[in-house]
Amino acid sequence: MAENLFIIIAALVIASAFWVVFSPNLIHSAVSLIFTLFSTAGLYIFLYADFIAATQVVIYVGGILVLIIFGVMLTNSIDTPSIAASSKNQFIGGMGALTIFVIQVAVIFNTPWHIGTEQSRDSTVASIGNLLLNEYLLPFEIISILLLAALMGAALLSRRT
Amino acid sequence: MYQDFLPIIIFIVLAAVLIGVPLGLQHLLSPRKNKGGDKLISYECGELPEGSAWVKFNIRFYVIALVFLIFDVEIVFLFPWAVVFQDLGLLAFIEAFIFVLILLVGYVYVWAKGDLDWVKMNVRYGKGRYANLQSKGETS
Amino acid sequence: MSNLSSLSFYIPELIIIIAILLVIVLDVIPVCKKYTFPLSLGAILLASVFLWQSYGESHGLFMGMISIDPFSHFFKMIFLLSTFSIILISRYEKQLDSNYSAEYNALLLIVLLGMFLMSSSINLIMIYLSIELVSIPSYILAGMLKNDKESNEASLKYVIFGSFASGLMLFGLSILYGITGSTDIGVVTAALQAIEYPLSIYFPLILILVGFGYKISMVPFHFWTPDVYEGAPTPITAFLSVAPKAAGFAILIRVFYTMFTLEGSVSATLPLTNINWPTLIAVASAVTMTLGNLLAVQQEDVKRLLAYSTISHVGFMLMAFAIISPDAVRAIMLYLFIYLFMNLSAFYMAIFASNKLNAHHINDWDGLSRKNPVLCAFMALTLISLTGLPPTAGFVGKFYIFAELFKHQQFYWLAVVAILNSVVSLYYYFKIIKSMYLVDVEGEVNKIEAHPVVNWSIILFSAQNILFFIYWEPLIGFIEKSINLWSG
Repeated sequence: MAENLFIIIAALVIASAFWVVFSPNLIHSAVSLIFTLFSTAGLYIFLYADFIAATQVVIYVGGILVLIIFGVMLTNSIDTPSIAASSKNQFIGGMGALTIFVIQVAVIFNTPWHIGTEQSRDSTVASIGNLLLNEYLLPFEIISILLLAALMGAALLSRRT
Repeated sequence: MYQDFLPIIIFIVLAAVLIGVPLGLQHLLSPRKNKGGDKLISYECGELPEGSAWVKFNIRFYVIALVFLIFDVEIVFLFPWAVVFQDLGLLAFIEAFIFVLILLVGYVYVWAKGDLDWVKMNVRYGKGRYANLQSKGETS
Repeated sequence: MSNLSSLSFYIPELIIIIAILLVIVLDVIPVCKKYTFPLSLGAILLASVFLWQSYGESHGLFMGMISIDPFSHFFKMIFLLSTFSIILISRYEKQLDSNYSAEYNALLLIVLLGMFLMSSSINLIMIYLSIELVSIPSYILAGMLKNDKESNEASLKYVIFGSFASGLMLFGLSILYGITGSTDIGVVTAALQAIEYPLSIYFPLILILVGFGYKISMVPFHFWTPDVYEGAPTPITAFLSVAPKAAGFAILIRVFYTMFTLEGSVSATLPLTNINWPTLIAVASAVTMTLGNLLAVQQEDVKRLLAYSTISHVGFMLMAFAIISPDAVRAIMLYLFIYLFMNLSAFYMAIFASNKLNAHHINDWDGLSRKNPVLCAFMALTLISLTGLPPTAGFVGKFYIFAELFKHQQFYWLAVVAILNSVVSLYYYFKIIKSMYLVDVEGEVNKIEAHPVVNWSIILFSAQNILFFIYWEPLIGFIEKSINLWSG
């Protein structure tokens, strides 16, 4: 049962990602990106990473995608958007993507991935909190400065004067 | 743990069904002919619409969404802290306090520079006792 | 070392963080806005004082996140010096809007903090975070001239390319995490020795090289450099051409010489078995040098010419990077230090010319030697040093890099390419000298004085070219003592 669900969710990710890239309408691309990000959150749940799934939905769909849609709606020629590459670039791009795909598949199947100890299947929020405040404290504090820089920059660049 | 997420799956399936079934039904039950023409004009209380429906809206929506996103990320980082900080003592409290403080400085900056004002006015009165009245900011 | 006890070794960074917060707070209070400039300069001076006091110690801080060691100390001095100089000279640059001077200084201090962390990171998460901390304020700083279309375009191109490169680098870092199960560089190093399938190390290596190569504008990740350097305000161009490149080299050396070598430390001499990344770097270095020089030859705009010449200098340093040895590290660090002075003084001269004369093309520099002979003499000295001719410090730097190639008897073909490229660079550097000295300007010639800060910055930085030609031995000794990375 879980396997079938996984196949459905993975197919949804790939199909909506495909539609993001190849759709001729810009708004359709933005909306299918919503499906991609939601399905990726579903994939995280299969990895028992519930906090990351919730974070994905809250930040990516609730924040970044809203910004993307706002940005798309701010463009000028919203009635007739058309973003198709010329046919010469599409062939070379496709070849490049295929090469990278083959390399990645080879890496994924031949690398001795690290097999860790069996983790408990509880909610991960508490363990992330513990890590964030003990081992990974410096990244935690530096992230606040990064957010401060982003906030200042966004306010600065979008000011009228 | 998968059982905890079963309500979400049911929710999504139900939402898809609640949208899909009426649309499918109306496709099956609607008349085949006489579609289109005047029936496809968007309804605006009887008036004929003129111009395109896509209006370029003000950039203040984008700025507010941007500021919201940054504080959203801050909140996401405060969630795990909120779950565990009582067991970790005063040090964890101070660490999160520093985190919030740095972002509070950013908030003060954005507030004081007027980026959060929804309406930016520069009203000048003519003569009379309000002649010297001026509010800050620029016209928008 | 635990978090609380790490704080006492973390003082320079803490000073910078407090300075960032204070600059922003003081900017908001209208009465105190004029104190932001002396505050930023004072914070940098204070941080460098504390940094000098703690030289020589070697610790891993914050539970293995960063390491304070003489290697990072050397690079931090480069960052502090360049940031101090850029903040000082930005005040007297006409293009920048003085309303935003406090945000400008705060963003430069954030980049400084990011570069500090870049030179000390020993954890995969910290590597990514510090690179982002350097990149994001740089995107904003490149777009600081809000009414200039080129500045907006520069910022936009920088953001798009930079995010893409960072994303690829993150993918490579995550593959490394997947192979080893830990984000610590020491654990990754130990685990990588045991991997037999070469592609599973090549793939993350190339992806990480994308991210780092973007920062140092290595070919083929250099496409952002000319547009960003041309559009950004000139002090930011000067800053971007020196400090993040030094930080990029610091993190390249630290990551590649520990993770992807057989011995797993900076005194290694061999790459991992079957992973021949030095050849890859050598080829990239040759292409970088050649491309930078060939494209600089065609330039008429001074800023763009200096930007392309930056790319060729990076190619030069990559030549020494392809040889894995502590001497190569020494040669790169020496070259970075000398390159700081050369490049900054060249860009400050461009600032002077664009401020006073509105001169952007080389033709606008005609007859500059009669308008201000002193500064032109020092600019000529800088250009000779950039080419690498004796008796300047640039010659010393290039000499050490060539010596590495010949001492280790590898990549002789690279030396030939490098010498040819130096000859080509002679042409475009001397185009500027020719325009300054040999082209006559009709009509009356007024003397043009530079602002004292700009004047003395150019003179002092350019004089280092002669100074380090005479006194390079103490510098080399200091660098050799500094090649001491904390491990374990």
